[in-house]
Amino acid sequence: MVDDLHVLESLPAYALGSLDKEEARSVSEHIAGCYLCRQELAAFQRVADQLPLALPEAQPGSDLAPRLMARIQSLNVKQPPKPAVWRFPMRLSPVGAAAGLLLLVLLAVSNLLLWQRLTHLEVLRGPLGMRAIALQNTTAAPSASGFVIMGADGQNGVLVVDKLPQLDAAREYQVWLVRDSGYTAGSAFSVDESGYRGVRLTAPESLLSYSRVWVTIEPAGGSAQPTGEQVLDGSLFNP
Amino acid sequence: MNLDSVDDAELVKLTADSHTDALQELFDRYNRLVYSVALAILGDRSVAEEATLDVFVHVWRGARTYRPERAKVNTWLVAITRYHAIDILRWQNSRPDVKGLSLDDTLRNDGSTAHDPEAAAELSLQQARVREAVAQLPPEQRQVLSLAYFKGYTHQQISEILRQPLGTVKTRIRLAMQKLRQTLLDEEPTSDKSEGT
Repeated sequence: MVDDLHVLESLPAYALGSLDKEEARSVSEHIAGCYLCRQELAAFQRVADQLPLALPEAQPGSDLAPRLMARIQSLNVKQPPKPAVWRFPMRLSPVGAAAGLLLLVLLAVSNLLLWQRLTHLEVLRGPLGMRAIALQNTTAAPSASGFVIMGADGQNGVLVVDKLPQLDAAREYQVWLVRDSGYTAGSAFSVDESGYRGVRLTAPESLLSYSRVWVTIEPAGGSAQPTGEQVLDGSLFNP
Repeated sequence: MNLDSVDDAELVKLTADSHTDALQELFDRYNRLVYSVALAILGDRSVAEEATLDVFVHVWRGARTYRPERAKVNTWLVAITRYHAIDILRWQNSRPDVKGLSLDDTLRNDGSTAHDPEAAAELSLQQARVREAVAQLPPEQRQVLSLAYFKGYTHQQISEILRQPLGTVKTRIRLAMQKLRQTLLDEEPTSDKSEGT
């Protein structure tokens, strides 16, 4: 019987996001390899997408538009398109670019060499004082794993994640540097089919000056502060 | 620049290129839709207004992430709103207004928000279709649908809230979605001018 082999009965609830985590993961794994169920899910998803149109329309305050524009202007003043804080550097000097490239190669090689050895260690010291820190997953992404690999002085680092569930178009993962005085927002990113992604970390101060690194689920484009579920967490304290 | 006749996807593209007038136009077209979703989930007008602002700020910052082949602009906006509002609820660890969700008021219709008359008419028609389809569902199915979709509750949580067997909740959700699918997708228009696709 088709329903025994597939997950057709669970698809309406999956489209609504109302399955428990275990059930949702099981459906997710099934549809990844099942064309029929993917097609069925797409139909239910189209239904779910239309549900908000059934709501009676409400009218927000008339000052909302000017408030939005004021907020955008404030963002533009405080956070120009390429802020110095925590963005991928788009333009590098030749020396900086070469150093960055070398670092990335070193980090990638280290990543490959250290990956398997890290499974039981929270922090591992590598050549030239480099460190790799294993992140803990949460119930929101129990299969996920992640590492922060950083240079000795903490000026550069890479976040590597694996087995994070792919998100829909409206959401992305976002990385955060955390310390007592608050959060520093990092890049928003998506993952590939296997849940893998590498993200370069740069910060206004040494990464060593932060106490933790978080990865959360945020609306596409990222948030100014964490609002969504946390999927990875790790301590950056020097052990 | 007159943006009244520019389609939604193009407006998002212009927004990604930092055209504030394009963002303003998107806001004019969809602020009521976004606000309505936020209000239905959050149940508080001022919090819903803040959430609406957050959504359009996200659009400003994340317009480049929009993929027209994956979703219509209004679908994208609603999805951002829904996730953000549910996250706010979870962040606050409270979900007020469990019974007050407004899918039960679906026959009430006060028109569309869009400036472009053609797009406004299309959105209005789309809303009327969905409202009619939802209104045809039995009240108990509308209720579980609301709790699942607009409050982010799981089957199990809904079962506990309503004190109904888990199997009953699952069945109601499944039947409601199957009925809506039958009604809405059979009538689904084949093109969407407002998306310019």
